[in-house]
Amino acid sequence: MSKFVAAVKAVRIGAVVTTFVATATPLFAADDLAAAKEYTVRYCIQCHTFEQGDKHGQGPNLFGLIGREAASAPGFVYSPGIKEALKGKVWDRDLLDAWLTDTLAVAPKAQMIYFQDDPKARAKLIRYLESLK
Amino acid sequence: MATHKQKEKKQGASRRDFLKVAGAGTAAATFGALTLSAKEAKAQAFDAEYDIVVCGGGGAGLPVALFSRWLGNKVIVLEKAATLGGTSFKAAYWYWVPNNAAMRKAGIPDDKQHFLRYVARLSQPQNFDLNHPRYGLSEWEYSMCEAIYDSSSVGTELLSEKGALPYRHVAPVPDYFAEMETIGATGRVLFPKDGAPSMSDGGQVATRTLSTACRRDGVTIRIGHRVQKVIRNDRGEVIGVEAKNDDGVIRIKARKAVIFATGGFTHDAELRKNFLSIPAYGGCAAMTNEGDFVRISSTLGVQLRNMNYAWMCPISFEKAIAKDPSLIGCFSVAGDSMIFVDKRGKRVVNEKLHYNELAQKFFEWEGANAQFPYLILTSIWDQRAQDNSASHEYGRLIVPPGIDDRHVIKGATLEELAANIDTRLQKYAGQNGGMRITSDFVPNLKASIARFNEFARTGKDLDFHRGERGVDLLFNGNVKEEPGRKNPTMWPISDAGPYYAALVTGGTLDTKGGPKTNPEGQVLDLADKPIPGLYGVGNCVASASGRAYWAGGGTLGPIIGFAHRAANQANKEPVRG
Repeated sequence: MSKFVAAVKAVRIGAVVTTFVATATPLFAADDLAAAKEYTVRYCIQCHTFEQGDKHGQGPNLFGLIGREAASAPGFVYSPGIKEALKGKVWDRDLLDAWLTDTLAVAPKAQMIYFQDDPKARAKLIRYLESLK
Repeated sequence: MATHKQKEKKQGASRRDFLKVAGAGTAAATFGALTLSAKEAKAQAFDAEYDIVVCGGGGAGLPVALFSRWLGNKVIVLEKAATLGGTSFKAAYWYWVPNNAAMRKAGIPDDKQHFLRYVARLSQPQNFDLNHPRYGLSEWEYSMCEAIYDSSSVGTELLSEKGALPYRHVAPVPDYFAEMETIGATGRVLFPKDGAPSMSDGGQVATRTLSTACRRDGVTIRIGHRVQKVIRNDRGEVIGVEAKNDDGVIRIKARKAVIFATGGFTHDAELRKNFLSIPAYGGCAAMTNEGDFVRISSTLGVQLRNMNYAWMCPISFEKAIAKDPSLIGCFSVAGDSMIFVDKRGKRVVNEKLHYNELAQKFFEWEGANAQFPYLILTSIWDQRAQDNSASHEYGRLIVPPGIDDRHVIKGATLEELAANIDTRLQKYAGQNGGMRITSDFVPNLKASIARFNEFARTGKDLDFHRGERGVDLLFNGNVKEEPGRKNPTMWPISDAGPYYAALVTGGTLDTKGGPKTNPEGQVLDLADKPIPGLYGVGNCVASASGRAYWAGGGTLGPIIGFAHRAANQANKEPVRG
């Protein structure tokens, strides 16, 4: 490959990337989903399952979480404390972000005790969880 | 941190980048120790600096972090998992505290000698001697057991006073061998105050209150940090750790001490196979309990002790094979019209024997046939037990609708059930030594049921004495009320199906061996001298209990005592610059 051809290819690849970034969701590149999935599954599988129809673990199955009424996964036994605190709420990005920042700030008697002050880490979790639909 | 980054830039290729490549991925984590010369230790900027670095945020790590913080130290907890609590989060979190404040207040006597006699008898039954000054225990074992008596209540009260772990006294709960001692046989069990009446959710409550106190009182907590090395200076003193997180590897300096509280090796098949006295398939410890401290300490000249024993419980064979992270041990084997049978269809054990002792049965060796004939037993129950004894608590095998029941095998008749059990066993041919049911399983099973049903009617289990000890009743679980029945652990199994079954084996709640410490939690070298700055508490270090499980909470109560002692000793360490 001549230096010239290589240079042109590099420029074109650069152009494609630029276009992609401009038109895609501003926060994430496409490949981030795979990384987000790996990260989320590695850390959350202790308690949660992710595929449609998977059985609940210590925590509920998370397929279809976004848009679902909070504390409503059929067949999962929620504590009264969490049901009360999340009553009438629906999982969206903002609620999920607040939840992952500090579950106990959202539901002081939550069974799930998780706090993540790194917005990048929370974004990874949300990225994967919102793809589960 | 900023100075470290600046230094990296000056040096060109940064240490951080190098380490990132060196330790790519959890599987490639390199464990051990790193020695820095005085010059290196000085020049080598750490990413952060604390007085006390606690490795692990579970049942031992959270208390030891709090005790250290309350002594005025700057404390960080490095937790490998995404959440705190470790194994204790999954536990019922009863904690066994001899001569606790509630007992003293209520005037329940619990003197030290009776306590020591009780734990000695159970921990070293082969050496037990009432006339020996230490009841047959070694000096080390005796001093560790004394520490439990002396300090568990002190630690417990401090956690309670500070609102980190308020408790309620569950006075009627007996020790598991209460019949052996008249003094202190009941009253030692405490439970997190806001836990459910069924006492199964204490781990969630305790993890919440302990971690809330950590955050309230300024303990720094970092999740997703797996400690993989201790850092020593050229005098051999431990001065920090290296931990891996999602961005690479960081080094944290410990001015006074590093305290390990990283749990046992339940989920490391290699360590299990080579150290445990039994071929267990795993257990219900947190999935992150992979023996990290055994590997890290192997380069430090420590003495591994009690590696052959574990806190035991029966577990669902299939959940263990599936490495189900939500696995909970069968702490309560539910059902009255329910029996366990072996591959021949014969009853071989008192199904209501409490968990640590019941779990031993699976590993009985049969010399003539060179096999573990009971490695997998089958629990069998009828519709009545299914309807009345199902529960999602305590790792029960009989679960209500909606709860994961993939471990349940069904059959309209005993013949059909047997065929389905055999099919299920064959699915795991490579993992159970090719175990099958024998050709006479069905007639044997029918005979076993007929004999059990007779026992149920009379209330006397002439074969295995089910329901005769108080502790059998403690863990009986929900059963249908039957007025006038003499033995609530038994009821005749129905002549008509459907029937249910589940494969059961013995597992570890967690292991209880590791480096030997002294009663102050200091990790000892080969000459029994403390390795300066290195501490261990909980299931990552050697327990003096041998194979014994003294009582419900016999894990966590002593751990709180040792956490208190370790924090106080570590607080006295000289600050290492």
